Amino acid sequence: MRIELAQGVGLTVVPTKKFKTTRVAIHFLAPLAQVNVAARTLLTSVLETSSADYATQAEMSAYLETLFGASFGIGVGKEGQWHRVTAGLTLLNDQFAQEALLQQGFAFLNQVLHRPLMHAGQFDEAVFKRERHNLQLYLESLSEDRQTQASLALQALYFDDDPAQATPSFGTPAGLASVTPAGLVTAYQQLLSSDRIEIVVLGDVQPDAVEALAQTLAFAPRVVPAVALAVKGAPRAQRTQVETVPVNQAKLNLGYRTDFDLYTPAHYAAIVANDLFGGSPLSLLFTNVREKASLAYYASSSLDAMRQVLMVQTGIDAESAAKVTQLIAQQLEAVQAGEFTTDKLRVIQDGLVSNRETAYDSPRFLARQALLRALLASQPTNLAQYTAGIRAVTKAQVMAAAATFKLEAQYLLTEKTKGL
Amino acid sequence: MMDKHRYEDVGETLWTQTLDNGLRVLIVNKPDYHETYALLATDYGAIDTRYVPVGGREFVQDPAGIAHFLEHKLFEKADHDAFDLFGATGANANAFTSTTRTAYLFSASTQVAKNLDILLDFVQDPYFTDKTVNKEKGIIGQEIQMYQDDPGWRSYLGLLGNLYPQHPASVDVTGTQASIEQITPAMLYRAHKRFYHPSNMTLTVVGNCDPQTVLDVVTRNQSRKQFELATPIVRGVQADLDATAMRQHQTIQLPVVRPKVQVGIKGLVDVDDSAAGVAFQIAVRMLLEALFGDSSPLYQAWYDAGLVDDSFDYSYDAQRTFNYVALGGDANHPEELIAAIRAVIARGAQQPELTQARFERLQHAALGKYYMSLNSLSGIANALSAQSFAGANLFDYGHLLQRLTLADVRAAARQLFRLEAMTSFVILPA
Repeated sequence: MRIELAQGVGLTVVPTKKFKTTRVAIHFLAPLAQVNVAARTLLTSVLETSSADYATQAEMSAYLETLFGASFGIGVGKEGQWHRVTAGLTLLNDQFAQEALLQQGFAFLNQVLHRPLMHAGQFDEAVFKRERHNLQLYLESLSEDRQTQASLALQALYFDDDPAQATPSFGTPAGLASVTPAGLVTAYQQLLSSDRIEIVVLGDVQPDAVEALAQTLAFAPRVVPAVALAVKGAPRAQRTQVETVPVNQAKLNLGYRTDFDLYTPAHYAAIVANDLFGGSPLSLLFTNVREKASLAYYASSSLDAMRQVLMVQTGIDAESAAKVTQLIAQQLEAVQAGEFTTDKLRVIQDGLVSNRETAYDSPRFLARQALLRALLASQPTNLAQYTAGIRAVTKAQVMAAAATFKLEAQYLLTEKTKGL
Repeated sequence: MMDKHRYEDVGETLWTQTLDNGLRVLIVNKPDYHETYALLATDYGAIDTRYVPVGGREFVQDPAGIAHFLEHKLFEKADHDAFDLFGATGANANAFTSTTRTAYLFSASTQVAKNLDILLDFVQDPYFTDKTVNKEKGIIGQEIQMYQDDPGWRSYLGLLGNLYPQHPASVDVTGTQASIEQITPAMLYRAHKRFYHPSNMTLTVVGNCDPQTVLDVVTRNQSRKQFELATPIVRGVQADLDATAMRQHQTIQLPVVRPKVQVGIKGLVDVDDSAAGVAFQIAVRMLLEALFGDSSPLYQAWYDAGLVDDSFDYSYDAQRTFNYVALGGDANHPEELIAAIRAVIARGAQQPELTQARFERLQHAALGKYYMSLNSLSGIANALSAQSFAGANLFDYGHLLQRLTLADVRAAARQLFRLEAMTSFVILPA
């Protein structure tokens, strides 16, 4: 399905009649180690709120309104060792609108990406200052959401030997403060001329027509650096951090190292083991920590396969931290020791399969799968391949996968100094 | 025989049927989808703490938070948890309580019939004991504590406190640790008996399902159960449309990094869910978009001046007994932002942003956004369910939007924009 429009510039078209929308996503990818993530994040704000054709956000939004209320945004994220900037546009599909919206949408993306609001080689000064100021305030206020604060702090603690992974995909206030107007121009040029580009278009579309439209973006050929996607680190000693702030509910977050190759049987086993441990409402963390012991309002785990880390997040009473830590450890031991029935295993597998099936009803999820397939050869190409991988996991494999989960980082956000 | 209504403009068909026991069933078939999303909702929410019990004559007063507590507690039975029954089929289950509704839902890609039985059975067969009720107090206590740490939630509740000091809309849906402490199994049974009668409930099923099969499953399930005859529900909560029953302003301090502002405008006219009421709500949302949306010159001027940033948001909520506009977000200069909003409200219907050209563009965009929203099964189910008693439903929106005029939007501004109905709530960094 993926074709090369130019060297380093891919296009994947996913035709489907299921939705009333067409989704266009242009992804710019660069190795994290080679970019300034704060500058790239600021760039997304600047490009999103001004351009040569639409000097203000109001003008740009007014134009999108004429496109039947198309929604447009530019965001950032991480894909393992890579940083991603995505310009996304969701349009009503042409058949439904009875209008060539997709063509107008590509023309709009062309304007926004290739014709920024610049004077004498610099971004508009007022826009630069305002957006940097707004982003600075936003980054400083992230701690107002205590779950976000705890999750970012655990990430920093877990990756305290790897600055690229410790830093959030959107940067830090310190990183942003050092971004200059010239640095922003450099980030822009790098994005357009050196980044790997993956374009994904999903909807009721003709691949040939989409290819012609995508060619109008005229991205030049580029050499894509040979940097792997997955983050592979060596096991390290446990580290612990306690932070005290004025909160009513404490947050206890844990990070475990995992070890598998993407979409091998060991990866599928890790997916099932995580779901059984804390990934599903039927998991041991949910039933035994939240429900049975009444010790937490939330307690769950998630597996970040690209970065090979499993994170546990809980919201608890500060006095219960030690008890909850112990209970979490016991739940993982139970998975490792095979203290679960094959019925339970089957139910967990059914849930994973059902969630995957349901996800196939989401245009955004489907478009994201297309990106991942472009980036990762082993990414499942269809629903059946993924569900077969999940169904094939045995109890012994789940136990073996859980045995590889090693606790490395413990972070407690609490009001009191007692705790861990 | 089910009523079948085809909505050509959106390409959707809505099947409806009211069963003998009063339960309304709404079904939309989406054969391309894997998922089926089902929502069983009762017209009972956090504001309904005062009512006349079935068979009684006098009002009773329940503790704040009882509807939400009941929602949590229904899942747990003598020997099992309904969560596990859904889970055993691979389905996901959840529930939520708002000021005026409580809803239970599942999402499944297989075994829809079985999950429908599980849903109807667990919601209609209560089981409460002292032991399970007391345990739940710990869990909900945690939830209440968590919300206390959320400045966005505090700011929303603060605004409602200003708008409705004498109406239960201002009380947190979860209640307080002190109020839930008073909840007993007897109170839960009494509320369940009053508000969970099928005639006060709607089942909405959207997804990959055959309408007749769904209806047969539901009918069979309901015919196995005995319900008392439906009696009218007498609720204690009265409409609050009184501009004199308000706090004008309040400022509190919290451990936040940035000041936060919420401005509210209390609706002084009841907005029901007749077709006219729904059209009015659409007009108000168009008005707010015209003045405060991304394409507004006014918003752009505020943004450039640093009065607002993209955390600024606005909404209009029209519920049984109350309706209000909320505007706000992070603000570096709270007093200036409040003054700027006050100046807009003072202009009433005379808003420079309300031109015919702009109105037509916003109308066109709103229509597109509405069509696009129909990709989401849960979105369709929630909207249909919330309007199941209404004179217009989600699939009428396209026509209502197309019929809307600039004069309607101006009329909405004239009705809502009254300085005496305005209030502000500010959170400053401690």
